[in-house]
Amino acid sequence: MKDSRIGVYICWCGTNIAKMVDVEKIAEDIGRLENVVIARNYKYMCSDPGQDLIIKDIKEHELDRVVVAACSPRIHELTFRKALENAGLNQYLFEMANIREHVSWVHTDREEATKKAADLVRAALKRVSYHEPLDKLSVAINPATLIVGGGVAGMSAAFRLAEAGKKVYLVEKEADLGGQAARLDLSFPYLNTVSSFLQPLIRKVKEHKNIKVFTGQSISEITGYVGNFKTTTGINGKLEDLEFGHIIVATGLSNYDPSPFKNYGYGRLPDVITSIEFEKMLRSGNIKCSDGKPPRHIAIIHCVGSRNENIHEYCSRTCCATALKYANQLRATFPGAGIYDLYADMRAFSKACEELYTKTSTKDVMFLMFDPERSLPEVKQAGWKDECNMLIDMHEILSGENVEVPADMVILMTAVEAQKDAKDIAHAAGISMCGNHFYIEKHPKLDPVATTTDGVFIVGTCQGPKDIPESITQAWAAAARVLAGISRGTVTVEVTTAVVNEEICCGCQTCISVCPYTAISFNEEKNVSEVNEVLCKGCGTCGSTCPTGAIRSRHFTDMQILSQIEGMLNEGKVKETHKILEEA
Amino acid sequence: MDKENKEKLKLAVYWGAACGGCCVSVLDVHEKLLDIVAAADLVFWPIALDVKYADVQKMPEGHIDVCLFNGAIRNSENELMAVMLRQKSKIMVAYGACAQMGGIPGLGNFHDRKSIFDRVYKDSESTENAEGITPQPKYDVKEGRLDIPAFYNDVKTLRDVVCVDYFIPGCPPQSERLLEVFMAISSGAELPSKESVLGALDKSQCDECKRKKTDNKKVDRFYRPWEIEDDGETCFLEQGVVCMGPATRGGCGVRCIEGNAPCRGCYGPPPDVTDPGAKMMSAIATMIDSNDEEEITEIMASIDDIAGTFYRFSLPSSILRRKLMPEVVEVD
Amino acid sequence: MANFEPKIVAFLCNWCSYTGADLAGTSRMKYAHNIRIIRVMCSGRVDPTFVLKSLREGADGVLICGCHPGDCHYHEGNYKCLRRYEFIKQYLTEMGIDKKRIRLDWISASEGKQFAELADAMTEQVAELGPCRVRSIMENVT
Repeated sequence: MKDSRIGVYICWCGTNIAKMVDVEKIAEDIGRLENVVIARNYKYMCSDPGQDLIIKDIKEHELDRVVVAACSPRIHELTFRKALENAGLNQYLFEMANIREHVSWVHTDREEATKKAADLVRAALKRVSYHEPLDKLSVAINPATLIVGGGVAGMSAAFRLAEAGKKVYLVEKEADLGGQAARLDLSFPYLNTVSSFLQPLIRKVKEHKNIKVFTGQSISEITGYVGNFKTTTGINGKLEDLEFGHIIVATGLSNYDPSPFKNYGYGRLPDVITSIEFEKMLRSGNIKCSDGKPPRHIAIIHCVGSRNENIHEYCSRTCCATALKYANQLRATFPGAGIYDLYADMRAFSKACEELYTKTSTKDVMFLMFDPERSLPEVKQAGWKDECNMLIDMHEILSGENVEVPADMVILMTAVEAQKDAKDIAHAAGISMCGNHFYIEKHPKLDPVATTTDGVFIVGTCQGPKDIPESITQAWAAAARVLAGISRGTVTVEVTTAVVNEEICCGCQTCISVCPYTAISFNEEKNVSEVNEVLCKGCGTCGSTCPTGAIRSRHFTDMQILSQIEGMLNEGKVKETHKILEEA
Repeated sequence: MDKENKEKLKLAVYWGAACGGCCVSVLDVHEKLLDIVAAADLVFWPIALDVKYADVQKMPEGHIDVCLFNGAIRNSENELMAVMLRQKSKIMVAYGACAQMGGIPGLGNFHDRKSIFDRVYKDSESTENAEGITPQPKYDVKEGRLDIPAFYNDVKTLRDVVCVDYFIPGCPPQSERLLEVFMAISSGAELPSKESVLGALDKSQCDECKRKKTDNKKVDRFYRPWEIEDDGETCFLEQGVVCMGPATRGGCGVRCIEGNAPCRGCYGPPPDVTDPGAKMMSAIATMIDSNDEEEITEIMASIDDIAGTFYRFSLPSSILRRKLMPEVVEVD
Repeated sequence: MANFEPKIVAFLCNWCSYTGADLAGTSRMKYAHNIRIIRVMCSGRVDPTFVLKSLREGADGVLICGCHPGDCHYHEGNYKCLRRYEFIKQYLTEMGIDKKRIRLDWISASEGKQFAELADAMTEQVAELGPCRVRSIMENVT
């Protein structure tokens, strides 16, 4: 192991770590090991005093490496790296051991958890002495922005950026702008027409001199990195190259098709319709059954496809308020009709929605509750004696009775889902999806509109079900982030990239075709491979492909990882007791 | 320094578990041998001189200037002499692939003493050994005790038993390289840091190999050299033939490849690599042109004996130094 | 062998599986304590040398996790990992080491539960094989 002067900090994280890991013992044991100049344990390392501890120690004890054992590096690695920078030490001379998400929160035996945490700290200790200082690279930012998706979120972000004087490319795959909102009649809770705000927005976006709109086109591939992205879009063979510094993904969502759901008879019974189909009727101003007659009884069924472990486990968030909206609109249109709202829970939580619920319950709407885990309502054809087209069997849990609900029309509140081509956009933009194909934000609290790919933001319903105000808020948040980035003018890119040692590279060219970003090229003259530092994204695949060891994946070098393995599986070497802190 | 008064270097050459090829490589300097003996006295060389072990034992410490130790450590005699020569030598050189990495004798680490003895002394087709006699390190006869070297279970490299000052790789090292090293030492040139590799390049075989290389390193089947119509020009890897060239130091003059045989890796690992077999396996695996598990397994099956192919010369010096023999399970 | 607690080194890729393991933590899922995680940016960074070194240093098993096929953050790094994994398994078998000590699996960023289950499954799988003799044999040259 190389000689280093290492400071080790074991965090309590309040009781999050300390209750399952003996942090004091670990600090004490680690303090006895070679190259450890100082080992401390502290309640909240990420706090200002915690970071000040590190900064002070670096200066006082001339530390040249720092290890912090705390939460996941995905949360605070940057925080601690900044602390090192503030103390005048290169921020890459730092390593974190994850003893919270990977230890204290997941194990139940304190002794075993402590042993495991100690192993992880020793691994970090061994690794960090092989870390090298890396200089960050600054690149200029192209002030243009690409927005993928021309719905409410996409257009709102576009307008904000354009008004700030920045160029925007807005690409929409359908023939028209407007997205899901364009299919809606009224909005909850105030029952205003959606078009009253949507149409002006569409017009402002189309007419703005800073926004170039591409409709009927989609994005298939984006190359580059933050500040310098490129893509090609086009229609009918006419291609156009676009260059931009940031990307806002606002691709929205689609709706669950309830045909396979046998209970509800969608596709089998002609008057079972989805909420979107009902909106179409509302916009046309003409609500009628398939036989042309007005409905005498209308049932609205919640949670079709949502909260269902076989279809979508999640709640689609907006359907309850929308159902209340429908109940009000139906009552206004058909004063004498029977209106039944079959719900699992009434989740009317947005501003003024609980009040909407209260108001709706005074309009002679019958609310019937079912248990989605025990029995779902079943829609069937009514008999010739019945005074309605269909009957719905359900077990009403508040009364405890089995009831038959009459219906001439059944409106299914279908789940929302990610777009069918969500995966393609995710790949193009370099963002991650969760299990149900909505996109993942960088951190729900610390960075809700950013993604783990620098320069790429996600807004609106592509990130998860939400209503119009929430989508607009996110859009404006992302626009603000983009404007902040643009105003800085440059952005620093990670330099944990691959680098070729030209004295060892023998020119076998095994690495060239391995790079997904074509960052490696062959220099015929020198007979060596070369890595383009800005194109390289640091995946390290070339590092493990190179048979000569010529390519080094910086910050994930062979030596660093091998020493991490060694540290993890071996007890550390204890320093001789007479070697104390005063090494010059 | 006055050349006539300069004392001649004392040179020793010794073989452990070896084939003799390294000793032949010393002779293969041909007429330059005269230059060598002009500058050096050969004080111990079993293949050429009648100097006994007892004579070496009597030498003072550091008496030998340079010892070229070739061959692996297979038995106790090899180790005994390695330790003795280390004591008597100023500079100990691991000469050749066997001393450096274990070499071909190192393949014995796919077996153990028991299975080797069973095969050689009992099970081989032409052996009749009803009493199951195998060599014993010590055997008492009426005249006294007979000692023969103990056969080790594991083949070791020279570095495993003594401190090695330099490595001259190759199977055998190219005679020209030996000459260069010898001339450097005898002329009193400053020697590189301890444990350096001498007589070899830092770059791998591909740098000197004249075959044409492209970035089209995609393989859908591996071939033995005799299975392809080699065009003599294209990189072996691109023709699906496993060539250890990228993970093997250059300096041998790419002789095998010039002879249209793929490199087998005898010149040892490049500077920053501890286990060239693993590195080459990784590179070869990456070349497999498939993302389907079944297909990958099928393509991989076209390489017979993966361990032997990638660790032909380097088994005892690799991370998994030897094969794990099945445990004898105690039945209760 | 009763009471044998295997030590398993796990290589997890930053974008999917490491995040998934973090999610298992934030969701307070409980799993076997035998796994020790090393973060790499992509499962394509996992060099066979790391797997061999882990066994040599005393690990009883090695787990590699990457993004699901088709979902690799760096396009195809996980496929490169798959190809090397097949090689490693074959090599280990030829070296007398049970290939069940190594496992490659796919965990996405949202699969915290699956990671916990995998950790338990891998621990059980390796525990059944007993302690790995690699280190003791390599260290005791005879």
